[in-house]
Amino acid sequence: MKLYNISINNLLRRKLKLLFVLLGLIIGIGTIVSVYSVVDAMKLEMTRQASEFGVNVVITPDAGGLAFSYGGITLPEIMYDVEQLTNEDVTTVASVSSKEMIKIISPKLMGLAKLENHKKAMVVGANLQEEFTIKPWLRLKNDNEAEADNDIKANAEEGDKNMSFQSLDLSRQELALLSLNDNQVIVGSMSAASLGLTEGSVLQLEGKEFEVYGILAESGNGEDNQIYMSLTVAQELLNRPDEITVIEMAVDYSLSSEEKLLSELEAALPHTQITSMRQETLRRDEMLTRLVRFGMTISVLVLLIGMLVVGLTMFSSVRERTREIGVFRALGFRKLDIAKLILLEGLLISIGGGILGYLFGMLVANYSGELLVGREIVVQWHFSTIVLAVGLAIFMGLISSLYPAYSAANQDPVEALRFF
Amino acid sequence: MSEIMISINNIIKTYRSMGDEVQALKGVSLSIKKGESVSVMGHSGSGKSTLLSIIGALNPPTSGKIEIDGIDLYSLSQEKRADFRREYLGFVFQQFQLIPYLTAHENVMLPLTTTRRSNKEKQEMAKEALVRVGLGNKLNRLPNQLSGGEQERVAIARAIVNEPPLILADEPTGSLDTKTGDEIMALFQKLNEEGLTVLMVTHNPDNVKYLSRTIMMKDGRLLNHDEQLITTMNNTIL
Ligand SMILES: Nc1ncnc2c1ncn2[C@@H]1O[C@H](COP(=O)(O)OP(=O)(O)OP(=O)(O)O)[C@@H](O)[C@H]1O
Ligand SMILES: [Mg+2]
Repeated sequence: MKLYNISINNLLRRKLKLLFVLLGLIIGIGTIVSVYSVVDAMKLEMTRQASEFGVNVVITPDAGGLAFSYGGITLPEIMYDVEQLTNEDVTTVASVSSKEMIKIISPKLMGLAKLENHKKAMVVGANLQEEFTIKPWLRLKNDNEAEADNDIKANAEEGDKNMSFQSLDLSRQELALLSLNDNQVIVGSMSAASLGLTEGSVLQLEGKEFEVYGILAESGNGEDNQIYMSLTVAQELLNRPDEITVIEMAVDYSLSSEEKLLSELEAALPHTQITSMRQETLRRDEMLTRLVRFGMTISVLVLLIGMLVVGLTMFSSVRERTREIGVFRALGFRKLDIAKLILLEGLLISIGGGILGYLFGMLVANYSGELLVGREIVVQWHFSTIVLAVGLAIFMGLISSLYPAYSAANQDPVEALRFF
Repeated sequence: MSEIMISINNIIKTYRSMGDEVQALKGVSLSIKKGESVSVMGHSGSGKSTLLSIIGALNPPTSGKIEIDGIDLYSLSQEKRADFRREYLGFVFQQFQLIPYLTAHENVMLPLTTTRRSNKEKQEMAKEALVRVGLGNKLNRLPNQLSGGEQERVAIARAIVNEPPLILADEPTGSLDTKTGDEIMALFQKLNEEGLTVLMVTHNPDNVKYLSRTIMMKDGRLLNHDEQLITTMNNTIL
């Protein structure tokens, strides 16, 4: 028989006490693990979004300090006295010296076109293959929707594994569908609903007839209100030849520095405003950092309370075992042996609490993550996290057992054996 | 090797608690030879347990000197005293004081826990001790699965497992019925005959016949021989 046999037997016998101490640890460790996992999953999700939604540089006309709202509804009318972008600018962009960083350029003309009933609709002229590649979340509602869904999922999974630019899948099936004739349009879901359009129906824009080639599945973005057509068709229809409203680009920052590309673009296109979505990402990162700090503060508080629970329970257990400890001392246990006995109990509980706390935390992360982030998140099982969790639990358990162990070792055996 | 097991010289013990002072021992001198079996009797509060705990290397006296087998107990460090208890002393407590979550076998192994013996050796020694007290067949019972007499035997086995030369027992039969108490006393007698020195606090005059000598205590002092005779007679009359 060794000291640990005594500790184990004692723990197994005092199940309720054990449960109480375990709970303290489980809640403490569980909170940290769940916060950590949720944040980890959110980070992953954000990086995935950032790279999946490949647009990260937007070039717009310089509105002279006026914020140019893109993404929502743009009103080109207020931009009349602003020098507009042209086809030439697109060529310029494509020929800057860091051009190898630019993976996709999607120039667009946006404007309002008259419908039959004198209402107006937002028309977007774009090179659709590029546009749909740079915005992979856009896809057509079609008859075999389920199949398309699967495709998207498969793509997303690939994206998880390899979050580089190569994951922008140029060979997606739908792109093959996108050989629009000049009299064909693709309609955003909300426009389609408000105009009563379905696939194949006919639509008049500025007196010209167009056939609805397809309806976009709802994206929740500005595209839902738009009518897509070829860039050249739009330029002709809106009578704004050569004109471009916005150039969106997918840039691979891993190849070279962001600053270099941006300064080259600025030099080449002096009258434009160049927005790098990296800034966006940075802002999001900052938000995330704050969130992490908040979560960690709470975790540390919960952890401290957990330690207090463990410490108090251990301490009261030591008090309860006064006689027992006196007997041990009378039988020749040294003070250090008594301290070891208590610390060993703390250690055993800690290991159990760490493992259970980790599982509990992962469980909470899995269920609460969806609630917090608003979409299903992928909580990662890291071996390093479990090592960290158990390590932390051991640290916690030992720290909070220190004083109980010390006080147990220093109990006066005579006092403990007053019956003697 | 000296003939004397316990040598006590003018021990005084004063307890101080919350400003209160109690002199539990007021100058006790005593000598017990190896192989003796001695009972300590006296009224409640007369200092019997205090004396036993001082001899048990658990409770430093306020003044005076105590030697066991020639070793000056309280000149040893605390840790050395713990080792001394383990090697020299067997304790039998009132109400047995078995550890409730350990089996009889494990309880008996307790004094061996912190020694450098192999697990196997510990188990064999503990088993042997249990056989010696007649409990060789109840190794794996928990204390609450044993009768009072059986628990007492486990406690005695635990006290002798290390083969200490001296056994200290505080009212070992206090919570047993007469018949079981007599069996336990017979066991102590047997152990004494096998060479152990026994020092036992008891309230029960019937136990005295199993032991070779009786010491009477009153108000923190030992009664001298004549006083003892009178008290013993009074007890017999009562
Ligand atoms: N740890 C202690 N602190 C303070 N006073 C104590 C302590 N232990 C014993 N005493 C006091 O010392 C005196 C002797 O106590 P002790 O326990 O030695 O008596 P006893 O002869 O064993 O009595 P009993 O037969 O009731 O067990 C008593 O007055 C008791 O109250
Ligand atoms: Mg007593």
